[in-house]
Amino acid sequence: MHQLFSEIAHNRELIVALALQELRVRYKRSVLGFFWALLNPLFMMLILTVVFSTIMRIKIHAYSIFMLSALLPWTLFTQALTYSAETMVGHAHLLKKMYIGKAVFPVAAVLANIVNFAFSMVPLLILVVALRFPLHWTWIYLPIPFMGLLLFSLGCGFFVAAANVFFRDVAHIVQIVLQGWFYLSPVIYSLDFVPHRYQWLFHLNPMIYILNGFRLAIYYGVLPTFLSACMTLGVGLAALSLGYSFFRHYQDSFVFYV
Amino acid sequence: MYKKPASRNGIRVRFENVWQRFRVIRERPDTLREVFTRAFRYGSRFEGFDALKEISFEIGEGEAVGIVGRNGSGKSTMLKIIAGVYRPTGGQVTVKGSVAPLIELSAGFQPELTGRENILINGLILGLSKREIQDREEGIVEFAELGDFIDSPVKQYSTGMVMRLAFGIAAEVDPDIILIDEILAVGDAAFQRKCIARIEEFRSRGKTLIFVSHAIQSVIQLCPRALLLHKGELLADGPVREIAERYEELTRAPVATH
Repeated sequence: MHQLFSEIAHNRELIVALALQELRVRYKRSVLGFFWALLNPLFMMLILTVVFSTIMRIKIHAYSIFMLSALLPWTLFTQALTYSAETMVGHAHLLKKMYIGKAVFPVAAVLANIVNFAFSMVPLLILVVALRFPLHWTWIYLPIPFMGLLLFSLGCGFFVAAANVFFRDVAHIVQIVLQGWFYLSPVIYSLDFVPHRYQWLFHLNPMIYILNGFRLAIYYGVLPTFLSACMTLGVGLAALSLGYSFFRHYQDSFVFYV
Repeated sequence: MYKKPASRNGIRVRFENVWQRFRVIRERPDTLREVFTRAFRYGSRFEGFDALKEISFEIGEGEAVGIVGRNGSGKSTMLKIIAGVYRPTGGQVTVKGSVAPLIELSAGFQPELTGRENILINGLILGLSKREIQDREEGIVEFAELGDFIDSPVKQYSTGMVMRLAFGIAAEVDPDIILIDEILAVGDAAFQRKCIARIEEFRSRGKTLIFVSHAIQSVIQLCPRALLLHKGELLADGPVREIAERYEELTRAPVATH
């Protein structure tokens, strides 16, 4: 872990440059450019709000804010994983030519999506103002679930980045797993909807603590329990140390397989 | 003309019994399906190929050393080990000082990004800070004769422009050790003269040059000393004229011209 942080510190300029490159290539030749980072969650929210509060009539006050408060962090997670899975193979041209600390690539993939995440918070804020939804003081708690989300995404990112070098199937499997995971996580619904006897199963999902932190602070205006806050950071750190040790164990052979 | 490095202090590169084994490519699984089908069909999968066998040599400060050998003799593998791209399977490698590879450095360019953006990424990977790169940018653009093209995507460059940009970056990075892989085989006569002038100037400042080629004439032009590789073994190490004779015996054919 210590090695990871010194590698990040040593390569910080390179990581920033790679993250910006990622974003620039993503939005190159698109007229709206960075606006897509705003428009994507906006349209997603519109579709889901229409489906769930108008067609399926879910009785949740200000459903769009309820949903976005968990959808935005979820999107950061899925995008970070999608990018991480491809990042080593996508940078094969660099890996094969020069010595580079391998960890910079998943870190840059996550960083690029943090920038996107920050942009996507703008529509949420606009919505809060437009719907005259209270801007709870509990927003100041957000750095904790954000930290948990970051560590967790990075940890999973390291794992899929390394695994995809050896088995290209991983990038495809990740997409399927993420779809299932989305419906098993309380993003579009509330955990209360789940029958009581299955609740314990849902608590095995590490993302639940992170998503809950965001939703409680943004939508309900309450703080989670101390235990829940600890779990948020705990699952993040656990994922990072596991994912990174896996990555580190195999990083020297990446160049032969990308 | 050729002399052994004077003192051990001045050693830049040292190989001790270095050995590099690759897995045979066709045995490499890419997808889970291949893994499963192979696991049932064959027993062993660690069929290897030794690209380098028990290689030992030293290169001192300020030396210019050519590495010659036929295709598949392990020349490029050796350069990649010096550059830190491959970690050898066995033995000890010591490299003192900064290394800039010209191993098709141009292949490290991202075609969608501009020349300027690529200078930044490549410079950062080679260990410069953003500040240092900005200071040298002008020199690189000038050497590469790119003019206004510096802000166009690299995919629009001609082959010559890409080569000049790659060489310009490596030259301006000003490493202690420069690795060149066949670069002079491409480009027109004017570009070759320019590169050779830059290499001479580089050497006159006491820097180390390692030059890989199967064209012995260009090695004779640049390097007083050469190593001869054949099928992964170091056959000879000595004055370039002697090595050239050995090499010609080995190929038993007139020297290839390019």
